[in-house]
Amino acid sequence: MADVDLSQSKGKQKHGGKKKRKRIAVRVDMTPMVDVAFLLLTFFMLTTSMSKPQTMEINLPPADQNAEVAASNLMTLRITDDFRIFWNIGEEKPTTVDGANKKERLINLGKLLKDRNRANPKLITLIKVDGKAKYIDMVDVMDELNINEISRFSLAPMKDEDKKQIGTL
Amino acid sequence: MSKSKRVGFKLDMTPMVDVGFLLLTFFMLSTTFKPQDVAEVSIPISHSAFKLPDVDVMTVTVDKEGSVYLGVDNQNLRGALFGPQYVLKAGVAVTLTELPELLRNARIRNPKLRTVIKADRDAEYKVIQGVMETLQKENITRFNLVTDMEK
Repeated sequence: MADVDLSQSKGKQKHGGKKKRKRIAVRVDMTPMVDVAFLLLTFFMLTTSMSKPQTMEINLPPADQNAEVAASNLMTLRITDDFRIFWNIGEEKPTTVDGANKKERLINLGKLLKDRNRANPKLITLIKVDGKAKYIDMVDVMDELNINEISRFSLAPMKDEDKKQIGTL
Repeated sequence: MSKSKRVGFKLDMTPMVDVGFLLLTFFMLSTTFKPQDVAEVSIPISHSAFKLPDVDVMTVTVDKEGSVYLGVDNQNLRGALFGPQYVLKAGVAVTLTELPELLRNARIRNPKLRTVIKADRDAEYKVIQGVMETLQKENITRFNLVTDMEK
């Protein structure tokens, strides 16, 4: 593993023509250490996860604060458990968002949101999702709002009267 | 027959080993060991590119069956909140009735905590709604939902 080379240990001459240094050469076999180092390197490389998860930020109004909003500025979205989307502004009758499947409905919802918010910049969106719906449904709707840069929205629980209004009860 | 002639071949490995050690140091310093996940959660996909903060994160995990787990990223805080047996675990199963007090205690110990909801995409919305209402009642009105970036 380690050995000492004494072959050059003679002949140190400080003054004179040639300048030879006295040296005890120590040779250590580094191979095992390097092996271990690379093993650790591989381990750390494989266990490190560099990417941090992405998140979606939500701001909700405090529970004890009731904001008064004019009915004409309030857009209500109701999402059923089979992902049908009903929307209405103020006291209007809820209408469905067209589309044969979830993806189409989401695209149409995005267009609708964009149009409505352009028509009325003060619009506030209230999202009511059925309790039996999946979490992904809510995330998809919120994502659609985020894509269209609609930051004024709130979430509310779906009550029985809501269900009655959209005819699922 | 004659002995096969061997050509001595020496390669200086020093630069490679240097680089190896450099990388090793880098990975050792940048690694943080994550405790094992409390539950298998498949995260929903979205377009949001907002990154999760590195430290001071409190995670409310909701799995597919609707069980709720609470976890904090700091080991010491975890020990203080849930007891020493949970120091090495990412979270503790909680009920919605215990959640408010735990949230309050955690935030008293570390007011900078950010709340994050990590829920399974197929979890029932009712549970998440309950969690969000609890957060709202505890005056945590700003929180994040963990999502995956859409590819």
